[in-house]
Amino acid sequence: MAAGTTIHHHKSGHAQARARRRRSGGKRAGLWHFLSFAAPGTLIYFCLVVLPITLSFGYSLTDQALLRPKTHFVGLRNYELLLRDDTFLQSLRVTTILTLIVVIVPNVLGVAIAVLLDRRGWLYNALRSVFFTPMVISSVVISVIWTRILADDGPINQALRALGVSEPPGWLSDPDIALYSLSSIVCWQMLGFCVVVYLAGLQGVPQELAEAAAIDGAGPVRRFWSVTWPLLAPALTINTVVLLISAFKIFDHVKVITNGGPGTGTTASVALVILNEGFVENRTGYASAEAVVMLIVIALLCVITLRVLQRREVQL
Amino acid sequence: MSEKGGTVNKLFAAGAMTLAVALALSACSSGTPSGGQSSAPASGGKQKVSFLVFPSPNLPESYWKAQVDLVTKANPDLEVELVAAPSESERNDYAKQLAASGQLPDVQIGMQDLIALEPSLATWTPGELKDFLCPTCGAVNGKVLQLPTNTQTIPNVYYSKKLFQKAGIAEPPKTYADLLADAEKLKATGITPFVSGGVFVTSQPWTAILATDLYAKTPDWMTKRRNGEVKFATDPAMKAATQKFTDLAAKGYLDKRQIGQDYPKTQEAFLGGKGAMYPMGSWFAAAADASDMKDDIGVFAWPGDDGSLHMPTFTGGGLSVSATAKNMAAAKKFALAFQLTKANLDASVKADALFPAIKGYTPPPDTGPVFKAVYDLWQKAQNEKATVPAFSWEAGDTAMLPGMQGKFWSTAQDLVSGKKTVDQALAFLDTEWEKSG
Repeated sequence: MAAGTTIHHHKSGHAQARARRRRSGGKRAGLWHFLSFAAPGTLIYFCLVVLPITLSFGYSLTDQALLRPKTHFVGLRNYELLLRDDTFLQSLRVTTILTLIVVIVPNVLGVAIAVLLDRRGWLYNALRSVFFTPMVISSVVISVIWTRILADDGPINQALRALGVSEPPGWLSDPDIALYSLSSIVCWQMLGFCVVVYLAGLQGVPQELAEAAAIDGAGPVRRFWSVTWPLLAPALTINTVVLLISAFKIFDHVKVITNGGPGTGTTASVALVILNEGFVENRTGYASAEAVVMLIVIALLCVITLRVLQRREVQL
Repeated sequence: MSEKGGTVNKLFAAGAMTLAVALALSACSSGTPSGGQSSAPASGGKQKVSFLVFPSPNLPESYWKAQVDLVTKANPDLEVELVAAPSESERNDYAKQLAASGQLPDVQIGMQDLIALEPSLATWTPGELKDFLCPTCGAVNGKVLQLPTNTQTIPNVYYSKKLFQKAGIAEPPKTYADLLADAEKLKATGITPFVSGGVFVTSQPWTAILATDLYAKTPDWMTKRRNGEVKFATDPAMKAATQKFTDLAAKGYLDKRQIGQDYPKTQEAFLGGKGAMYPMGSWFAAAADASDMKDDIGVFAWPGDDGSLHMPTFTGGGLSVSATAKNMAAAKKFALAFQLTKANLDASVKADALFPAIKGYTPPPDTGPVFKAVYDLWQKAQNEKATVPAFSWEAGDTAMLPGMQGKFWSTAQDLVSGKKTVDQALAFLDTEWEKSG
């Protein structure tokens, strides 16, 4: 019995050891599987995102110029200079105005158009495609087309002259108007994106809630504000964050349409100023400091926006 | 089965990891540039040279191809790959970006920011420069980095004889007061006195006024600014000249609505009769001669207060060679052949109205009337020793600091649009100068 028990224990010990090995082998295999799937993406992300950001921060502490062989450590001097740099501060002002316009206008128009298009039928399907088309066209192409349209002798001003306006606005040449013209073009392009996201949100609103509100005597406006709009909160969050990031890092429209002008910095976005500092004026260290500040500003804005907007989101 | 499967899985996972690491490392490493430094022996024993050019209204891609063909026919051992800059005004920025990323083509033409590009460019020896009229023009720290091939006068004032007649102006102005009086007459007739536009075109009258009012008296002003002996905001002559430029806009002689249009549009505007005078570099003569209104276009030098001649002039703008060209000998051979071949020079005269600064060179006899007028004006200025530097177009050690040329040009737009006062504009230039230093 005792021997049998011993044998049993012995056998049992082997079985447990095998089970442990199997378990540990299974864990190792699971780990290998995890690594094999996660590692490629992680490494690419590390190389293309984490490493450049880390290097940029390192460069921002130097006076690096790509065309100059020697680089010196300057500590936080670049950041101190940024606080007194009118060009950079002006670009922050320009980018903030542009971002505010680009976040607000497509959101407001987007939800209105989405409500109007939230119907069945070929016409509505066609209109959805029409609104989304600018989104799939290259920003450079859009910019070139609008530059022609808004030129002093372009079709808009020709039409205005034909209507008797002798001095039509200099859409891109008047420093007081150019930024708003530029913002309008970006709004026009981003509108389709907002419409599609709001349409997706509208299709997730349960019909019975609207019907119940209607039975309770709520009119269309009341139903929208009390039922539909709260349930569109996730769509608002997505649109706002995407527009915020797109607008704050805007470069291609500005480069093609105005190149920051007319004059000094009238429409120069932060991204354009960074590129000019880094590659035109050959001050890579300083441009890196600007890029780090831009990253921090965008990150902070996104975190705040997400916190505020996600509080509005409701679970059905 | 399961153990075998586990081994296979491990092998698969290890293989995937290895591949991922290899991919990621290859993404991290800097690849071989595709655009530049291709001076490797090409097929058939030819030496391949990459050449950075810039398209412009006067110099389309077909011009560059034809010019290169002339050289390669005479030098069959050379094979040239053209790299086009995005535009004429962006060629310097583009070159700097390529240089910064190790992709500068072997040979470039018309580089202006030689100070910034100095570490990336090869030096020309006195022997290689023996055929050039001004072999040290545009030198940086004593080193000649760019073949000083062409002289350009920047700006001349092109005018429409027909529009002058319409406003009752019998002859071009001889003094600055005459110029203002003529501008007033044109404006009163409903004609825009000066065609302006774009970034650098807007600054042309400012460059002209600085030639007659600043450089005529202080030809080494820029050197003094580089040494910190003068400043934009505190120099009385600079301030007075800038005020004159600003007054042209304030009086409505420059149309501030035109500052948003690009260079080709601005040229079209003058050729389309949308203004009477067009302050522009000598290269415009080529487009003028190619236009229908060539016989209607006259030229005069921007007049000073006393009517004396001061012609803003720049010599340089030729080819430069990358310091890291793999086949330096082939790159330099191509550059010199391109610049010294008579047929090439003749073509550059006809296409871009350049004045080749090559010993013994004379322009072909069949140039147009506008070119002849501009060339004669330059010859006259040379004979009278009345040439001065062209402000913002200087090269090498006498040039503005890197990045300042663009700031000067956009400041001109601010002055025309009224966004900045003279004091604000000049203080801005000083601030930017300190940053650039």
